[in-house]
Amino acid sequence: MEKYDLAHATVREMLTEMKDISEIMVDLAYASIMFDSEETAEEVKNLESDMEDLSKNIRIKAMLSARTYKDATKLSSLLEVAAASRRISNAAGDIVQLIQCEVNKRPFLTFILREAEEKIKRLILMDNSDMVGRSVKELGVESETGMRIIAIKRGKRWIYDPEEEIVLKAGDTMIVRGTDDGYDILRSYANGEEKWPIYPDDEGEDD
Amino acid sequence: MEQLDEMLLELKDTSELMIDLAYSSLLYNNKEIAEEVVTMEEMLDELANKIQRQAIERVVNDKDEEKAFTVIKLAAAVEEISDAAMQIAMVTINDPEPHPVIRLSIKDADTTITLAEVKDGSDLVGKTLGKMRLASQSGMWAVAIKRGRKYVFGPDKSTVVEVGDVIISRGPPDAEKYFQDLCLGKERLEEPY
Repeated sequence: MEKYDLAHATVREMLTEMKDISEIMVDLAYASIMFDSEETAEEVKNLESDMEDLSKNIRIKAMLSARTYKDATKLSSLLEVAAASRRISNAAGDIVQLIQCEVNKRPFLTFILREAEEKIKRLILMDNSDMVGRSVKELGVESETGMRIIAIKRGKRWIYDPEEEIVLKAGDTMIVRGTDDGYDILRSYANGEEKWPIYPDDEGEDD
Repeated sequence: MEQLDEMLLELKDTSELMIDLAYSSLLYNNKEIAEEVVTMEEMLDELANKIQRQAIERVVNDKDEEKAFTVIKLAAAVEEISDAAMQIAMVTINDPEPHPVIRLSIKDADTTITLAEVKDGSDLVGKTLGKMRLASQSGMWAVAIKRGRKYVFGPDKSTVVEVGDVIISRGPPDAEKYFQDLCLGKERLEEPY
């Protein structure tokens, strides 16, 4: 998760961040239930408190930038959107509380989540995969496969909502979200069965 | 899958679609999409009530209070997400012209929204979303299709794409161009995997 100086962040940056965090929180919340991961649940709680800070700061910044009645009206609807993303994050916080319910009483949850349109799944990056040693950005994992990496477990360490610049290592466990066929494609790259595709116009294109 | 589980699944999938639609309505200042979010929210309210009632019946009949508790909690949380989607959609409905920063923020996000019209000659024409595997091929997930004056909200695997369809989709910013080129017919679909 990107950390930056809240005092200097603009309203635009904070609103983007709030949208991003709220969405990753929902994915992580479901993942924590599916894989019974207390650590992931903990991360959702941390993100919830980040959201509180953002929520407060975006209000302050918005108030400071309003000069006219018209400004204030426009900004008030912007803050409404910010409030909605905070609401999503609170809902994610409620979902992770379910982890406290007895594990044997919630297998149906995992079952339901397995049937969802977009699923959350796990896969391990093998030594012989050509994804190893390359960054998520360089590979363009999501645009290539439709699968979003929501977390990586590296040894004992968890990396949540990994930065695009993160370089993948053999043995990484990736928690991903997307469709079944996207998962099958990604898995065939991750276990080295298939080579990561190279496009002729990849070189020199830098955006 | 039993009925209760199916209802929960529908609640979850719909709530996520609603968020995507709500942001789409804001980005394109589209009140029709926003109205659909409101309709879906009403539907989910009823669904959530039904789920919670059934869960309570379960306690009475099976004495399975732990599962009922989990179901009720989850349904409430997911309903909260749909309420948030409606909150966003209401901005589109009430605000004649949303603040330009809102649009910029959506475009800057890790997951953004884009749209493109399907032109004659595009590989997508005449194929179902399932067959073309739009999500895994392009990285973009279709959230709505505008066909003439009508919309298909939350199109599924069996939805056939036609010439002139406007596909609204959600995905990473670096997938936008390929998706648009696919719709325009400038790019081809890869061979079936």
